[in-house]
Amino acid sequence: MTIVATLGLEVDALNKSYGAVRALNDCSFDVKQGEVFGFVGSNGAGKTTAMRIMLGVLAADSGEVRWQGRPIDAEVRSRVGYMPEERGLYPKMKVGEQLIYLARLHGMSREDAVAAVDRWTDRLGVGARRGDAVMKLSLGNQQRVQLAAALAHNPAILVLDEPFSGLDPVAVDVMSAVLREKADAGVPVVFSSHQLDLVERICDRVGIIRSGHMEAIGTVDELRVTEHPQWRIAFGGDVAALRTWIGTVKGVRTLSLDALPADERGSRAAGAGASDDTVVFEDDGTRPGVEQEVLKGAVARGTVREYSLVRPSLADLFRDIVSAEGVAA
Amino acid sequence: MNAARAIRLVFARELKARMLTKANIISLAIMLTLIVGGTITAAIIKDRSDTVPTVHIALDAASADLGPYLSTTAKQAGIDLALTTMTQADARALLDGTAAKGLTKDAKAALPKLEAFVGGTDASPVVIVGNPNDGRLHGIISGALQTRALDTAVTAMGGNLSSITAALAQAEPAFEAIGKTDAQKYGPAYGVAMVATILLLVTLITSAQMIAMGVVEEKSSRVVEILLATIRPTQLLAGKILGVGAYGLFQVVFLGAAAVGSLVALGLVASVPINLGWTLALLIMWFILGFTIFALLFGAFASLVSRQEDIGSVTMPLTLLVVGPYYLAVFLVPAQPDSTLVRILSDIPVFAPFMMPMRSALGTVPVWEMGMAIALAVATIPAVVWVAARMYQRGVLHMGGRMKFREALKKVS
Repeated sequence: MTIVATLGLEVDALNKSYGAVRALNDCSFDVKQGEVFGFVGSNGAGKTTAMRIMLGVLAADSGEVRWQGRPIDAEVRSRVGYMPEERGLYPKMKVGEQLIYLARLHGMSREDAVAAVDRWTDRLGVGARRGDAVMKLSLGNQQRVQLAAALAHNPAILVLDEPFSGLDPVAVDVMSAVLREKADAGVPVVFSSHQLDLVERICDRVGIIRSGHMEAIGTVDELRVTEHPQWRIAFGGDVAALRTWIGTVKGVRTLSLDALPADERGSRAAGAGASDDTVVFEDDGTRPGVEQEVLKGAVARGTVREYSLVRPSLADLFRDIVSAEGVAA
Repeated sequence: MNAARAIRLVFARELKARMLTKANIISLAIMLTLIVGGTITAAIIKDRSDTVPTVHIALDAASADLGPYLSTTAKQAGIDLALTTMTQADARALLDGTAAKGLTKDAKAALPKLEAFVGGTDASPVVIVGNPNDGRLHGIISGALQTRALDTAVTAMGGNLSSITAALAQAEPAFEAIGKTDAQKYGPAYGVAMVATILLLVTLITSAQMIAMGVVEEKSSRVVEILLATIRPTQLLAGKILGVGAYGLFQVVFLGAAAVGSLVALGLVASVPINLGWTLALLIMWFILGFTIFALLFGAFASLVSRQEDIGSVTMPLTLLVVGPYYLAVFLVPAQPDSTLVRILSDIPVFAPFMMPMRSALGTVPVWEMGMAIALAVATIPAVVWVAARMYQRGVLHMGGRMKFREALKKVS
């Protein structure tokens, strides 16, 4: 049974074309039960298409979506909490009535639906608006109602397309907590977002999609491991001399600080704006242990205030992959 | 979730959404007012034409010989005449209202009724009328005076007016009207059939439009994507059609019953030579058959577009398919109720809902013909379901521009 429990949601080699446009190209990934999976990619990369196929709203040209080892059928689909990219609710229908209706369409009894809708609208801060028509709510509140629609029927799987867009910081916190809570209860959670800091913070694993193909999948830490590690030295002493010396060490090369994200340019101890005390070099991988040699040399030449591995942020990885797309195109 | 439960949930939502909107309640109230108001107006007109009016004319003693002439002209005009004798002064007091001055209500009612007075001499008669606009009085009195003058002159010449009149009467041709209006030819049955056909047209068009608008509302608000992530497109369309259909049926039964009810309440039933209950039953049956066919088609066609303003153009062919048969039923059927063309057309599913009730209201339709029309309509429904389901499944998730018919009819991949 443990094998089945960890199988979760598998997306296997999906292909989908719209005429000449190839929206998905052998797109594969899996989301284990209890895992929050962040789905990132530039606009038009295929996130929405993949999610719509997972929900059966769209048919794939080839490939399969499985839940616990079996192809997803209507029975499983009715237990998916889905938030489409294009928000959709009946504008003239009252919030409460509408959510109860949708929860019942997902198989809940009337009593359970009423209780769940009360609970979720309260939790998402729109409990006072249950009697209002959806179109009378602000966009942000409509978004909360949309989330309630995805959550109210106690879904076994969550597929959310851009659930955080349009939410205020408080709602973002509530939403993050809800996703974590659902995952902890064993629900696989897939969501797409362009708010990469958020994805980095919340997700157990991340998939970066480009031109319909999953380019990179892994935990944020796994993805951050680069082929050529970069090191940063915050140095008290003659920085120019240190830089010149490192340039002579075999197996490394110094880098311009411009290549780094803004918050990595200075030493953390000196605060922002102290970038002139920092040297960054890249290990080209030809001499294992070369970073120790550089560290010793630096210590011999002055005070090493900080010596650390530069870890690219998700945004950097994303930019790398997107720019590769630019080259390919 | 099983299909029946999904359809039932969609059905209940649709019915509630249709029944309880302000616009629908108002339009139902307006139609009810029109039907009941129309029946009441018909009853008033009928009352008026049923009662023969009585005209009260007074003569002074000297003009008593005018009496027989007045009686004759009044009879010719189809008016009952009540003759009295009084002086010119009394008559004037009655006509100008001075006689009624200062009297109690009961005493006023007890005064003799009078519309005109004729006195004076033969050569210069005096006529006083209460209402100068009453053309009947003018016609009767001047006719009588002219006849008397003619009689006097003819007698003076040694002739006899009655023999002349008899000769004139013989010379009058007896007209037989060949070109009757449809209303004259068929009598009240025509009116009932017209009302039933209009009711059918209005309810069919409004219900079919409701389906189309409902489909596009779900598309344009994108709620369809959430719905279709949990139920099948065919279940959604079926629930919607049943929900709107139930509301349409309620309209037909409610308004039809209001029409029949007000006819019965106003005592007009005896004057309608057709079986109202049967007409209503046929109307309901043809509504159900017609609605099923049109609702499926309107739903399928509407699914091809994504904006409310495109509904009109995409459903235009269907609207013609409703309105065309309606016009044929209203104009062609009364003109030639038994022609081969009418008999063939009224068997065809799209035409039958309008033409069959019209035919059976205006004459008798053989049972086998009615049965065949019903059987053909019922047999068409599975084919329409197939086409509609196919178009709808493809169209409903197609966002953006209008989908081509050919594209929509392709097999769902």
